[in-house]
Amino acid sequence: MPVLNSLNNNYQEKRLIIILMSALVVLFIVSLMVGDVNFNIINALKSLSNDDSTLESIILMDIRLPRTLLAVLIGASLGLSGAALQGMVRNPLAEPGIIGVSTSAALGAVIVFYFGLATAFPMALPLGGIVGALLAVIFLYALTRHNNSMLTLILAGVAVSSLSAALTALALNLSPNPYAALEIFFWLMGSLADRSFTHVWLILPTTLIGWWLILSTRHDLDVLSLGDDTAQSLGVQIQRLNKRIILGVALSVGAAVSVSGGIGFVGLVVPHVLRPYVGYQPGRLLICSALGGAVLLLAADITVRLLATQQELKIGVLTALLGAPFFLHLILKSKREWAP
Amino acid sequence: MNIQASNIHVTLSGQMILNDINADFPPGQLIGLIGPNGAGKSTLLRVLAGLQMIQEGHVSINGERLQKLQRIDLAKKMTYLSQSTECHWPMSVERVVMLGRHPHVNSQQIGNVDMDAVNQAIKDVDIEHLIGRSVNELSGGERARVMLARALATGSDILLADEPIVSLDPRHQIEVMALLQNLANKGKTIIVILHELHLAMRYCKHLMLLDNGRKVAEGSPKSVLSADILQTVYGVDAIYGNNQGENWVLPWKCC
Repeated sequence: MPVLNSLNNNYQEKRLIIILMSALVVLFIVSLMVGDVNFNIINALKSLSNDDSTLESIILMDIRLPRTLLAVLIGASLGLSGAALQGMVRNPLAEPGIIGVSTSAALGAVIVFYFGLATAFPMALPLGGIVGALLAVIFLYALTRHNNSMLTLILAGVAVSSLSAALTALALNLSPNPYAALEIFFWLMGSLADRSFTHVWLILPTTLIGWWLILSTRHDLDVLSLGDDTAQSLGVQIQRLNKRIILGVALSVGAAVSVSGGIGFVGLVVPHVLRPYVGYQPGRLLICSALGGAVLLLAADITVRLLATQQELKIGVLTALLGAPFFLHLILKSKREWAP
Repeated sequence: MNIQASNIHVTLSGQMILNDINADFPPGQLIGLIGPNGAGKSTLLRVLAGLQMIQEGHVSINGERLQKLQRIDLAKKMTYLSQSTECHWPMSVERVVMLGRHPHVNSQQIGNVDMDAVNQAIKDVDIEHLIGRSVNELSGGERARVMLARALATGSDILLADEPIVSLDPRHQIEVMALLQNLANKGKTIIVILHELHLAMRYCKHLMLLDNGRKVAEGSPKSVLSADILQTVYGVDAIYGNNQGENWVLPWKCC
């Protein structure tokens, strides 16, 4: 039985999950320890257990813990969404940031900011992000449904990104308050600083629903690699699968962007790096990419806190600086597919 | 299992692709679907697989209409092998073949039955030496055999195959046709689209000839591949012979 061994050999995948989870735990603890104020985390935990409200316990609970949790939630959403979109459109360049989903989600959130809806109704912010992301994914899916070439996807993404960026610029341009415009501008760069548990609770429900929707497609996603007809003949309900991924990405990325601003390239880099370890199976890639995304964003967030810059470097700027060359590398690697 | 197609009409972009097709495919037969390019063979196969919208008519399996069956239940009864051999990710050969077990595997836990089916399919199609290699590294013919193994691994009673031997070398063409004939002899219903008329004549028990979306002939290979019909439909003159009691036909020249 020569095949039996190679198919049951999920050792690499299990080892990868264990490594990623271990890294996540270590980074989680490091993230709680790193910041402007140095203190002993054990003492802070002791104060918490004794119900003492010390400066350390306040920093831990009100600043670092929510920031760390948000990095995990948002990183996992971006990694998971990138892997799911790539599986759905069968294209390794599909990523929420590159194809304009994050930009559209940001536009939705900016509109909510602009009309002051966020102060009146806190859920309006994630809802704005979700609606923006949803519209972008539906548009992209409709455009690439019958032509999944890289060129079509990238061009459609450029169109979505440009339109969203133009409308966001319009909102900034017409903003009656220059300080508000500046605030939105900085927010768009992507950051996890100064976030609280309110933000965690705000995005948690939609994020979890989004994850559930995406993960529910993992068995069918592998079969989609063989094309729509074959997948359907093997029992996959293509329309249902696509709807789940589109809605799942919109819910999780929309919610993430509405809290963190634009953080790009996580969904591109993570699935690409991890894919060989799961036998290139898009379904098996999902959980690993979620863990990988959380690890990468948490590491990036710790890095921006450790970098000695006058003003804290925005995490979206760091991921873009790292991700853009990677994107270029991917394009160069697949340049043969661009040839006429 | 018995497949029946009744009064099938398909129109695509205003053009009639299939016009009033009626057919009854009994179990235990290797049935060849033949015809010139653009005759509607692939569309008919997709109709039978429930993958193509039809304007009129219906398809049923053992008297049960296709539309009433759940996709997953249909997948257990019937396998469709597309003309395309593409795999969008560089998966290994055995993982691609294992995808054929998808209708039977509810989670990613692979059981012994699935493993046996995959091993048997790999052996039947003679691709054991390709195990461990990425499908994207393989030649067109090798990839076609991997996809056939994927279809066989499902283990369904009906196999619909769109030109399964078109890119294979002569030895593997003969091997695959003999394998399909053998499976049909075991009670499976196998419908294959073929352009290789000599293999259709030798291995199929029943042929259906389509032209311009219409069924123009049906019956035994000898009756369907007659000189008159080949001249009218394909525009070719053929030569005929007999080798050890088996008839053969060879399209020879345009007429």
